[in-house]
Amino acid sequence: MIHFYHVTKKFDRYSSALLDVTFHIEKGEFVFLTGPSGAGKSTLLKMILRQMTPSDGQIVVNGRNLAAMRRSQLPFFRREIGMVFQDFKLIERMTVFDNLSFILTVLGVAPREHKKKAYTALRAVNLHHRMNAFPLQLSGGEQQRVAIARALINDPLVLIADEPTGNLDPELSLEIVQIFAEANLRGSTLLLATHDRELIRSSGRRVLTLEKGHLLDEHAAPAEPHAARGGGGFVNWS
Amino acid sequence: MNRDTVVARKEPAQPPSAFHYFLREALRRMWISKRTSFVAVAMIAISLLILGAFLLLSENLQRAITRWQGTSRVNIYMEPEATAAQIEGVRSYLGSSPSLAHYTFITRAAALQRFKSYFTNLDEVVGQLDENPFPASFECQVTPRAIQSATFERDIGAIRRTPGVEQVQFDWEWVNRLKRLVNIVNAVGFIAGGILAIAAAFTIANVIRLTMLLYREEIEIMRLVGATEQIIRGPFLIEGLIQGTIGGAAAVGLLYLFFELSRRLLAPSNAMLWSFLFVGFLPWPKIAGLVAGGTAAGYFGSWLSVREQRNESGRP
Repeated sequence: MIHFYHVTKKFDRYSSALLDVTFHIEKGEFVFLTGPSGAGKSTLLKMILRQMTPSDGQIVVNGRNLAAMRRSQLPFFRREIGMVFQDFKLIERMTVFDNLSFILTVLGVAPREHKKKAYTALRAVNLHHRMNAFPLQLSGGEQQRVAIARALINDPLVLIADEPTGNLDPELSLEIVQIFAEANLRGSTLLLATHDRELIRSSGRRVLTLEKGHLLDEHAAPAEPHAARGGGGFVNWS
Repeated sequence: MNRDTVVARKEPAQPPSAFHYFLREALRRMWISKRTSFVAVAMIAISLLILGAFLLLSENLQRAITRWQGTSRVNIYMEPEATAAQIEGVRSYLGSSPSLAHYTFITRAAALQRFKSYFTNLDEVVGQLDENPFPASFECQVTPRAIQSATFERDIGAIRRTPGVEQVQFDWEWVNRLKRLVNIVNAVGFIAGGILAIAAAFTIANVIRLTMLLYREEIEIMRLVGATEQIIRGPFLIEGLIQGTIGGAAAVGLLYLFFELSRRLLAPSNAMLWSFLFVGFLPWPKIAGLVAGGTAAGYFGSWLSVREQRNESGRP
């Protein structure tokens, strides 16, 4: 589903974000991406969305070679990917409902269906009662959940999230990872970048570790004794 | 189809609800940036008002020309001492000419009588003269078709050379001069209006550019979630289109207002001088053309901005 072949990203002669990174994420996997700040996690995620292009190497996502993709195809490719941004990227002048409705407009969903779909997505993140609130009226955790609802509204093939649990308390972090796990159960392939080693340790999922642009190791985190594996690799966090 | 099947499928260019979204967004953005939108609309309105004023002037001059063309006349003035034989010679020439066959002969006495009836207050002055100063004349009614005929010029030339004829006056020459004036008015109007309309289009381009800067972050988000360039640009194009159309409609409205006010305030006091300029307002096709000109200028301005923005966003 996501394939990196010897990917290097250099910004100039002296600074590079990724160096010869190769990995493969198969359909239906739930993978954590970790590493210290500046390791290249965000750059890697941006490259999956083709916000950035590699200096060298090839990236194939959902069967599409990103280097060969025409600019006109890019919006349609991005619609297959749900992205939860580190800074949420919610449109501040729009209500929660309008933030979601806008995506549905982009996707060509008939306006009469917007309310139902937005409600369903917001109910999944337990924010259906804040549909008419503006992003700035919400807490950080609530904004995070709206961003997740927006990413999930289209049942994306690939879901990537950049530090979705950053600045959240552990209880809320678990709640958010639970939402991702449910999306994974519905068939989305997940790549979740996080600093939270505790969260990774307790998940028992595959982990990609980056450090100074290098992919250091690739392993499955040992599952916590209490974490029971559900069907399709789902960890029951509750 | 399996949800992860990858095929190079043809995607719809725009979702079905896009136009509704474009319109709503364009109106909302215009409302938020009321002042800048007003400036853009005012610029378009002023440009088209100037163009419209020239068009209106030329339209009424054209109407006057058409009216005068329909009643064109050739006046042949005889010398005061022209003999009866010379007058008869002219009469016989006119009778044989197809383009000048419809004529009326005005004797010197009839000409004096006509003058007295037109200018009653000058009656006494004329009475003090020793002799009748008015010459006998032939008034020939000519049709525009006859004027265009090949023989007409030759006939006029021949009459001018006929003994006893002092002057041949032909108001067609004056009409031609007026026609040239109409052409100049049209040209000046189109040049001035065109320059101003281009300036207005650039004003709209700047207004849209400012709006795009204001929404830069939002545009970036739209791109990241998979909005096509058409969806991103649509509201801006519609915004320019609406501003241009409102500007065009405002120009027509203002022009009509000025026209009516001028007609009521100026015309009664100087009816002879001005009345031919206030025969009527612009015809519907020209009104529609002015509004369409505003729409086109607005669209052109916004197109310039989004084109620039698209080039700037050349990165992936």
